[in-house]
Amino acid sequence: MTDPVSTDSSPNASSLDRRSFLKTGLGGAVFLSTVSLSAGLTGCATAPAGRVSAVDSRMDTRYQFQFLSRDDIALFEALLPAMFAGALPEEPNQRRFAIAGTIERIDQGIVKFGPANQQELRKLFDLLNFAPTRIALARVWSDWPSVSTADADAFLRRWRDSRIGLLNNGYIALTKISNVAFYGHEDHWHLSGYPGPPAWMVDALPQFNPAA
Amino acid sequence: MSMNDPIARGLAAGWNVTDASKLSENRTVEADVVVIGTGAGGGTTAEILARQGLSVILAEEGRLYYQKDFKMDELTSYANLYQEGMSRVTADGAIAILQGRCVGGSTTVNWTSSFRTPDETLTYWSQELGLEGLAPDAMAPWFEGREQRHNMAPWETPPNLNNDILRQGCEKLGYSWQVIPRNVKGCWNSGYCGVGCPTNAKQGALLTTIPGALDHKAQLFHGLRAERLVMSQDRIDHLLASAMGPDGVTPSGIMVTLKARQFVVAASAIGSPGLLLRSQLPDPYQRVGKRSFIHPVNATVARMPAKIDPFYGAPQSIYSDEFNFKAGTDGPAGYKLEVPPLHPAMAAGVVPGHGQPQRDNLGQLPWMQSVIALLRDGFHPDSPGGTVSLRDDGSPVLDYPITDYLWQGLRKAYLTMAEIQFAAGAEAVQAMHLDSDWYTSWNQARDAINNLPMKPHRARLFTAHQMGGCSMGTDPETSVVNGFGEHHHIANLNIHDASIFPTSIGANPQLSVYALAARNSNRLAQKLKQAG
Repeated sequence: MTDPVSTDSSPNASSLDRRSFLKTGLGGAVFLSTVSLSAGLTGCATAPAGRVSAVDSRMDTRYQFQFLSRDDIALFEALLPAMFAGALPEEPNQRRFAIAGTIERIDQGIVKFGPANQQELRKLFDLLNFAPTRIALARVWSDWPSVSTADADAFLRRWRDSRIGLLNNGYIALTKISNVAFYGHEDHWHLSGYPGPPAWMVDALPQFNPAA
Repeated sequence: MSMNDPIARGLAAGWNVTDASKLSENRTVEADVVVIGTGAGGGTTAEILARQGLSVILAEEGRLYYQKDFKMDELTSYANLYQEGMSRVTADGAIAILQGRCVGGSTTVNWTSSFRTPDETLTYWSQELGLEGLAPDAMAPWFEGREQRHNMAPWETPPNLNNDILRQGCEKLGYSWQVIPRNVKGCWNSGYCGVGCPTNAKQGALLTTIPGALDHKAQLFHGLRAERLVMSQDRIDHLLASAMGPDGVTPSGIMVTLKARQFVVAASAIGSPGLLLRSQLPDPYQRVGKRSFIHPVNATVARMPAKIDPFYGAPQSIYSDEFNFKAGTDGPAGYKLEVPPLHPAMAAGVVPGHGQPQRDNLGQLPWMQSVIALLRDGFHPDSPGGTVSLRDDGSPVLDYPITDYLWQGLRKAYLTMAEIQFAAGAEAVQAMHLDSDWYTSWNQARDAINNLPMKPHRARLFTAHQMGGCSMGTDPETSVVNGFGEHHHIANLNIHDASIFPTSIGANPQLSVYALAARNSNRLAQKLKQAG
């Protein structure tokens, strides 16, 4: 995924302060492009993370991230415990694996979204990873790795309950890609009482029994 | 792979099918007709023309998936079989768009509902819009023909409980309901239509018209995106298309040039206007992309005392048209009532929320029942639809502002759906809306729904039906094609998909597309054969 650095040349790009963010921000897309540009310039990791070391992340080291950057992964590591409160395993290792696997599936899903929606998500993630906008719009004061589950939950609620449609939309985007990647996976079907495809069909159908 | 699968068998028997991701150099291919898109419209067109002895090339942006790939898994299916990996939305993100992107198009992933275009709609088109050839009597034989071709018949198996709740509620309240005709043959009643039929029961384009065309020497390119139609003087000379790489979404850089004497665009109500706009074809009155319709859909969910298992059984078998045309064809927004299947990923994506409340909501999935309302847009002056335009990268996007007229219809639909669910014995009902609680009585629900803010993003909206954007009509100042799908300004260009509908239709569109494409393809075949 190439960052859309060259697609926008908003005059606000070089004079970032809270007021100019809010002024342009509520307009929508122009604002988000500005953030993406700024985030790229100020050292936010916007390049795909590629393979992530197992030592610091519990990630499957064979998995090659194609879209999510290291900062995006940190963002989801902070959000998912709030997103799936009451649904994640209690046992620390299992819990970390469940979170890591969900983030990998989020990455896989986004790859298939195609360039246009990838660009939209890049803007959203940059906005959340770039300190001035994170503070101004998400009202999250510390870096994501230091954000508590309670604070992550409070952030999600603020965006859900905001009267600003753009922030509601951000909430929907974050919860939708996370919910689908988590509850949609076989490992978590039990949480929704879904028994999976009927065994009698799996037994009978050729695509599950290639030798037959 | 089982040789009982018609696609595997056809490929083994030497069908002319090219996976464009495997091409290593640019190519030019020529035929009588190039058909762009392999869904309801493109498949029908290709089969009819190929059976008449014309040489046909089919170009499909999505890939060829068939029984070996259909493993009843939501995540892989949504990623591979749907437009933008199931992330397609309207320009402001307020409406999720479910649309197929694979050989067979949306007919590969639809829920098999097979309705004729309602008489009211055809009458409106023929009497109010001057499309006299589309009156109900004139169209009846075309519907009948396609009902046979796709094995469409009212579902005789008892509905699953998810659908039966809609029937029970309507029964209690004195609202009409009917059984849905489905395009299936030997259906196992399993409920996996939306992720690619695992049993080859669904008679969509993938198992009917596409094999029919390939059996008659048509050539199919899949993983090939139509970039632009290129004109020479006053005719289309060729289609320039780019091959997708193995991931299906990233162009490989290989270009394919498809030459023909006739071009038929059937790339959907978002894709077709997009292709015409990218091609900068003559559009003197700037009609391309205008009046795009979607049947905006809202939903309620109910918690029922009995187990519903909304993930199993034919997904759609009961509907109600009680409110579809009740206030007149062009009165306040009418809506059709249906039921969606709820598998875990679908449910988790549709039910907005996070944390413990979300976990609790999804935890009761086996007891959950849902009703959806499909609003009929495009008939009233305050329902002009949306506009398809191009993003910077050339991809099409639908901007669809929701007017007060539609918000009123959506609120009324929330009310009707909750009323029906309580009448059928729901313990609690929730509107799919960020401000909705679970309501435990109809009275409570009615008061609360009457006060819900009807605003984008807060009301969760969806659509699986895209129509219009290349409207048919008699007047070139207000339409793109005539009543036979023939382009007003370009002699060798037809459009054969839902993009030519001048309004929405008030029913799931697959049979409307099949029938209109069949009618217009027969005429086109005669024309091409006479021209020799």
